[in-house]
Amino acid sequence: MQPEKAIRVEHISKTYGDFRAVNDLSFEVYRGEIFAMLGPNGSGKTTTMRMILDILKPDSGKIEVLGGTLTDTLKDRIGYLPEERGLYRNVRVLEMMEYLATLKGLSSGEARKRSQAMLERLDLAEHAKKKVSELSKGMQQKIQFAVTVLHEPELIIIDEPFSGLDPINTLALKDLVLEFRNKGHTVVMSTHQMWQVEEMADRLLMIHQGEQQLYGPVEDIRKQYALHAIIVEGQGNWAALPGVERIETVENGRKGTLLYLQPQTTTDEVLAAIATTRDMSIERFELAVPSLHDIFIRVVEEHEK
Amino acid sequence: MNKTWIVARREYLYNLRRPAFLFAVFGVPLFTFVMWVIIFAVTASNEENLDSFAQVGYVDEAGVLDNLALPEVSSDVTPPELVAFESEETARAALDSRKISVYFLVQPDYLSNGQLSTYSYAGIPEALHDYIESLMLANVSRQAPPGTPLERIANPVNMTVHVADSGRDLTEANIPALILMPLVFAMIFMMASGVTSGFLMNGVVEEKTNRIMEILVTSISPMQMLLGKVIGLGLLGLTQILVWGAAIVILLNVGQTLPLLQGIAVPVDLMVIFVIYFIFSYFLLSGLMAGIGAVVGSEQESRQWSSIVSLLWVLPFFFIINFLTDPNGTVPVVLTLIPFTAPTTALLRLGFTAVPVWQIILSLAILLLTTALTVWASARVFRWALLRYGKRISIRELLSVIRKSPEAEISLVQSAQEGAR
Repeated sequence: MQPEKAIRVEHISKTYGDFRAVNDLSFEVYRGEIFAMLGPNGSGKTTTMRMILDILKPDSGKIEVLGGTLTDTLKDRIGYLPEERGLYRNVRVLEMMEYLATLKGLSSGEARKRSQAMLERLDLAEHAKKKVSELSKGMQQKIQFAVTVLHEPELIIIDEPFSGLDPINTLALKDLVLEFRNKGHTVVMSTHQMWQVEEMADRLLMIHQGEQQLYGPVEDIRKQYALHAIIVEGQGNWAALPGVERIETVENGRKGTLLYLQPQTTTDEVLAAIATTRDMSIERFELAVPSLHDIFIRVVEEHEK
Repeated sequence: MNKTWIVARREYLYNLRRPAFLFAVFGVPLFTFVMWVIIFAVTASNEENLDSFAQVGYVDEAGVLDNLALPEVSSDVTPPELVAFESEETARAALDSRKISVYFLVQPDYLSNGQLSTYSYAGIPEALHDYIESLMLANVSRQAPPGTPLERIANPVNMTVHVADSGRDLTEANIPALILMPLVFAMIFMMASGVTSGFLMNGVVEEKTNRIMEILVTSISPMQMLLGKVIGLGLLGLTQILVWGAAIVILLNVGQTLPLLQGIAVPVDLMVIFVIYFIFSYFLLSGLMAGIGAVVGSEQESRQWSSIVSLLWVLPFFFIINFLTDPNGTVPVVLTLIPFTAPTTALLRLGFTAVPVWQIILSLAILLLTTALTVWASARVFRWALLRYGKRISIRELLSVIRKSPEAEISLVQSAQEGAR
């Protein structure tokens, strides 16, 4: 059975003058998932989000959101955190949250109640009566996120939600995003931080120069890019092991040696070989599953060749 | 609640509490009132004080003061001592040697033309003027035929000028009303529409520079936003007018004892026309300001524009002499037809003269048409320019946007590269 779609994007393109920002992009976002959009700066992530939100119109192609074209009433069911953050500066926090929530269709009583609850939740209750300009940057970011989800939107679109946040605030917001997903809300987020995607996202779309590079469930993509290789740490002449094609020293992160195996060799055979070979000691032995970070870099580099 | 009303309500309540608005509403009338009180108090004390004029000389060349009859004065005024001089030379010598502080000369043909001159080193206060008048009245009246009312001798002509066609009579009592009221109306109009449309523009510029616009346009349509702002701030302008109107009514009621304010009434027909002009031109002004606010990049730039725009509204005041001397002349008529100057011009002219009905109708028609066009064009520009940051927008771009369909997308391009992010 096909999962229900929150967003359907079919062959959209967008150019600014001579610059092709998005080129024939198609994808679907399922209801209830966290969908990540990855890509280097200028790859077309924000442009795509803005087209989904009807801020921009695609030159060609079709977009369906929550089962139809985006109307003003549908906008109430969407929460959007733009990449360029902005709040009213000379207004009290609670008052501003209330106003923005009523613009999303909440009654003022309900808007106030939820704003107060959200401020409690984010440890900002004591700042409710302060002006926005008196808050620290991190607090403002949290408020901004709160404004995005106050009306409990079915579809939450967040552009670089964690940029500029310290680890504690990142954790707080991450929990909130996961909580919404667990309640059945759909989340579309763009990010540079790959480990966030690995931890949170169900499926992803990687774009580069406006074109789709990778698309699908995070696990599938990682498997697809899995190397027939292992990482080891220890002593010995790794290259002499039977079944090893070539070796490479791991430079990034934890030191180690990457052993590329011949196609017919299994990892068990390699482990057995190490155990039985003299003058070889082993401290670490693991499968070389690439991080999304590595995949990201590989894709971008391959594309540029 | 409709989102337009949510925006209107927010704009109204938010701006109502702004210090700038509170000052404009309460500060300006209060300041004006205090100034008046001070001016009245200072001049009144000078005018009533006769102490420095204890001795008043006179030279009577007409012989009306031969059997001097002194007028009755109120108990709180000490009448000056009158000193007769034979000739002007002796009186002058007494004045020069400071024996007297003032003298007056009743010329030989006084009875036929009422000529009387006073000489002093300083001006003479109103109270002394009044005293000399009643002195002359007391003495002349003895020579009038018996039965002539003193009132008639004192004030032989009480002129009423009838202006053909207008149905409004310029009596001496309501001339201040007719001159003062249009001025007051024009000032109130400019203040109210200027303050509120300025708020409108600042609001748009603020939302743009704060980058909150992107959240707003994904919550409501730009049209709802524009309309909400215009309605909310229009109501704010009306609030301002109401407060000032109430202040004027109170001032007039309290101030009936002040001679300057006596007989001033607010002409109802002028009020009605005032409100019509206010509504039309408020929409014109706010449409213009919203468009400018959406296009300009900074608050500083927006201030420059708003002062240029408000200059158009003040323009008629530079021609105030034309209005007083020839209210139906070419300049006032032309200014009545130009939409930007029409409201103030029409109000001023209506106060001073009978304006042909066709001019008012034509003026309102042109104003309405311009307003509709401005709001329409502004709405398109507004939507298009809302998310456009940093980049200067050329007139040609603006014109092409205005010609495009209203469904044209919002533009948010700074540069192609940045837009693609």
